[in-house]
Amino acid sequence: MVRKFKTGAALVGLALALGFLPVQAQTGATTLETGTFHGQVHNTSGRATIYREAEGKLVLRLTHFKTSNGPDVHVILIADKDADDNANFLKSGTERVELGTLKGNEGDQNYDIPAGTDLGRFQTVSIYCERFNANFGAAPLKKF
Amino acid sequence: MKTSWPVIRKWVFVGVGVPVLIGLWWAFRPEKLWINQKVDEPAPFALSSDPQPLYTGRLEGKAHQTRGRATIYKGPDGKQYLRLTDFTTSNGPDVHVLLARSDDESLNQETVKGQLDSVELGSLKGNQGDQNYGLPAFIDLQKYNAAVIYCERFHAVFGVARLEQF
Repeated sequence: MVRKFKTGAALVGLALALGFLPVQAQTGATTLETGTFHGQVHNTSGRATIYREAEGKLVLRLTHFKTSNGPDVHVILIADKDADDNANFLKSGTERVELGTLKGNEGDQNYDIPAGTDLGRFQTVSIYCERFNANFGAAPLKKF
Repeated sequence: MKTSWPVIRKWVFVGVGVPVLIGLWWAFRPEKLWINQKVDEPAPFALSSDPQPLYTGRLEGKAHQTRGRATIYKGPDGKQYLRLTDFTTSNGPDVHVLLARSDDESLNQETVKGQLDSVELGSLKGNQGDQNYGLPAFIDLQKYNAAVIYCERFHAVFGVARLEQF
């Protein structure tokens, strides 16, 4: 009976250890790139940073962030070194990767970057109003 | 019963005007000019007890080609230090790492005339590679917000990194 209990406890302990291991491995992320926003037409400021999490996932995080509120505003990565404050990516035919609808026009926020995105090509974050094809602000990213 | 012209006009106004107004409102959402949408998401990963980056900036070469990143970290013990990464400058005599005011006009020149208002962090340890420099305990990082690679002997500004909040 005691032996059975011991085996059970050992099994539970092993399960717990296995369960916790990945959690421990998850902590910490590598900072890959960072840059600050500029935008005059729609005042935009703050920092954009791309992290690689332990399991390889890429995340864009905006901090100290502020832009003007507007309709249908998205966060995108564009295939360019930087963007003019009044850039229209539809006209210029600039390639982009969609990261999602802007969660808030103020404050810290995270966006997942699709797996396989080539950060060597998509070097700039843009806060982009899809309805009017207006660039609210852009942050050129540089190696951290 | 014949409907009078003003009444028809009224209904045309309502029938056309209201959808147009709704359309304009939908397109421009003018109320968003006054309404802010605040968020405060935590980092999606543990930042834990690792050193926290406070300020960072890219180095730009002045008198000598210089590149890399300068970042001020706060360690878990509360001590602050400047870390240079991805760093290259030219080797030279008596080269130091300083913090100076980013609005200092003399940083736009290749050589400084007179005294540079700065805080000394130490002699440059190497002209290439990652390196750390401890910061004095009481330093106003709002004021001294530029990292400078500076040759004391010739008052030459090798490179400047204007630091911005991380």
